[in-house]
Amino acid sequence: MTHGVVPWDSPGPLDGPIGVPLVDLLDRVLATGVVISGDLVIAIADVPLVRLSLHALLSSVSERVPAPWADGGPL
Amino acid sequence: MTERGPERSDANATYVFAVCRNPDPSAVAGLPGVTDKAPVSTLSLETLTAIVQTVRACEFTNEAWQARLCDQRQLERYARAHHDVVAAVAACCPTVPLPMATLYQSEERVRDALANEADRFHAALKRIAHHAEWGVKVYVPSCPPDDSNRSTTPADRSRPAPGAGLAYLDRKRGAQERRERRQDEALQAAEAVDAEVRSLATASRRLRLHGPQLAGERRVQVLNATYLVAEHRAAELTLLAQALGERTGAQIELSGPWVPYSFVGEV
Repeated sequence: MTHGVVPWDSPGPLDGPIGVPLVDLLDRVLATGVVISGDLVIAIADVPLVRLSLHALLSSVSERVPAPWADGGPL
Repeated sequence: MTERGPERSDANATYVFAVCRNPDPSAVAGLPGVTDKAPVSTLSLETLTAIVQTVRACEFTNEAWQARLCDQRQLERYARAHHDVVAAVAACCPTVPLPMATLYQSEERVRDALANEADRFHAALKRIAHHAEWGVKVYVPSCPPDDSNRSTTPADRSRPAPGAGLAYLDRKRGAQERRERRQDEALQAAEAVDAEVRSLATASRRLRLHGPQLAGERRVQVLNATYLVAEHRAAELTLLAQALGERTGAQIELSGPWVPYSFVGEV
């Protein structure tokens, strides 16, 4: 196990490298912290994805902050 | 949402990637965007500019997105296409990224939205000026070496000794206590990392924890958080993450700088 920080090898400001991990990208482009299961089916009920209203867009984030251990992950 | 959808199959819609101020139009030239129907372009209203693309409405219905979200390759293609445009614009001017799949029925509707929400866009632009978003993920090992059986010597195991049942219960109790202690320590490491990073961030958000399929079998993600950090403190953040990793023994992954996707919705 490594204890080191694993930073991006970022070539330029605000210009993510090609290798931006998909899950980190989805955490952000979907703006709600999407949970992806192994087969990558998104819990769409939680993601108001197609927004025809900007108001909905700007008010839809950060309503749900998960409790740690909510999924009872193995430790 | 769908009741306002297009009735005709040849109808167009306008996809909006981001809203910004004074972009260099050449920044998005040549980027494919999310469709081959039309190039990525700009739409200005007073001092705000939306980065938009005309798409076929029938390809961007709610149903189409539902299908796309179930197909990892499709989802990745659209997420990266969206991000590529957002990142290209953000590289040249202050930019508020919009979530993937923000669509309007026409350019006129985009202008209406820009006009109606101009104050909020200006507030968001002000908030993220000279800042970037950084992700911090913390992992702990999922299966630390379990020494619960090493307390008994081989001789003890050869045959049941008097009090073997009691020793078994002691071992079980010990294992439970160790597990609880590991959970406490992991939680404390996560909280400690979050608290320290928050102290140098302008704002923070907790994202959902990634499950074992994403974290890997050998480790458990105990923190998935993201921070809005001033540009001049980015180097400090890198050093802090390094120091926290050494101090807590947890594995810390730092990602960034991101366009501040996570910090434009709360203004």
